[in-house]
Amino acid sequence: MPIDPRAFIFLGSNVLLLYLFQLVNSVLASSFIYLILLGPMLVFPALFMRHRSASFCLIITGIWIDTNIPATFGIFTISFYGLGTFLFLLRHRFRLEHNFHPHIIGQVINLLLILSLSFSNGWAHLLNKEIWIQTTSIILCSALCLFVISSWFFNFQRMLIELFHLNLEPEDLPIS
Amino acid sequence: MANIRLDKLKPLVALAVFLFLWWVIPTAVKSSLRLSFAEFNAPAWVLNSKFDQLADFWKHRNHSKIELIEAGQNLARSNARYQIIAQRYETLENEIERLESILGLPERPGFRHEVARVLKRDLSVWWQEITIRKGKDFDIPVGAAVIFAGGVVGRIKEVYAFTSTVELISSPNFRMAALFSGDSRPVVYQGSNQSGFGFPFGEVRDAPQDLLPTSQNPHTLVSTRLGGTFPPGLTIGSVHWLEPGSTGIFQTGEVRLDPRLHDLKEVTVLIPSEAKEAVSNAN
Repeated sequence: MPIDPRAFIFLGSNVLLLYLFQLVNSVLASSFIYLILLGPMLVFPALFMRHRSASFCLIITGIWIDTNIPATFGIFTISFYGLGTFLFLLRHRFRLEHNFHPHIIGQVINLLLILSLSFSNGWAHLLNKEIWIQTTSIILCSALCLFVISSWFFNFQRMLIELFHLNLEPEDLPIS
Repeated sequence: MANIRLDKLKPLVALAVFLFLWWVIPTAVKSSLRLSFAEFNAPAWVLNSKFDQLADFWKHRNHSKIELIEAGQNLARSNARYQIIAQRYETLENEIERLESILGLPERPGFRHEVARVLKRDLSVWWQEITIRKGKDFDIPVGAAVIFAGGVVGRIKEVYAFTSTVELISSPNFRMAALFSGDSRPVVYQGSNQSGFGFPFGEVRDAPQDLLPTSQNPHTLVSTRLGGTFPPGLTIGSVHWLEPGSTGIFQTGEVRLDPRLHDLKEVTVLIPSEAKEAVSNAN
């Protein structure tokens, strides 16, 4: 079974979002505001596509992020695939016609990713208060930005799918 | 019924297989995967930097002729001052070389200066890195010193074809030998986890008991030749207080780094002369 063409569209939009928020981080470096806006990237691939295509998209996105963000290599690849799999298993519970459910899922996943990043990078320094002050500020800033970015990002992905005359309907939904 | 259950389990089995494979795959394979993706990404950042340069160019084109004439005059004054300083520097270098040859001292390591533009800044509580627009194409070696007008910036961490990653001195993983200005006893400088408020800072350890810096009289921490990476005398930061360390024998304290460190546009990589010779010999 070939890879769903939507996987490439989701991958491309994920790379664009990664590139944009890294540009913002680079510009805001002196103000010490750091954004992590990764949550929305795995919502549509996991909810819209079959498992094989979703896995392809999430693993490549994860490796791409791991290459660009100086964290331990593999943390995002594993987190994306793991979280994507659980989201895939629960996909019949969500409504994708509007942005409300994807938005909430994006926020929760983003929080989990920031926490996993904090634990994977700072085991030796977890008792350090600076780590937690900064982690809290990253969580708050990222959550605030996601309120705006998520809606734009999901609509952008929908627009790309429509532009390429592809089907917007989720595939392979389990019979409940 | 059994089919539906197996179908539900398929993603979890695939996840378990993936995790096992990720665990089993040799580090060399992962490294090459990372390297390939990094090289594939690099042109996007280089392109962004070129656009920045273009924006700067158009911004400067909007300056009036009078502003440009004034800037030219200021530059001419600075050039004249630096020419005098360069002459003085050359005289002193010759004098040092003469004295070294009389005393039979070993030759000091020389450096080639490579100015590079900053492509990207990744500054968070977990990491403190910048990416610069020069890499293997300019023979930049891993571990080379990176400096700017305010002193030490950090050390080259990774080198790619056209870009390199620099670990900043504010990074908790950065450590180097240092000296207090006017004191010959070596101390240890280490970066710290940044709180994100106020100046970037690091930590000095193993400072002698008799050093007593205060807010009114802060001591300057400078680089030393020990370790061979950095030339001596480059500013690291200032120390405003010291307190007894955990051993009680030495003192420890906070080092205030230059605030410009987190807003760098250009840096200079110091490439050891031996490294350059080794590369040219290999070629």
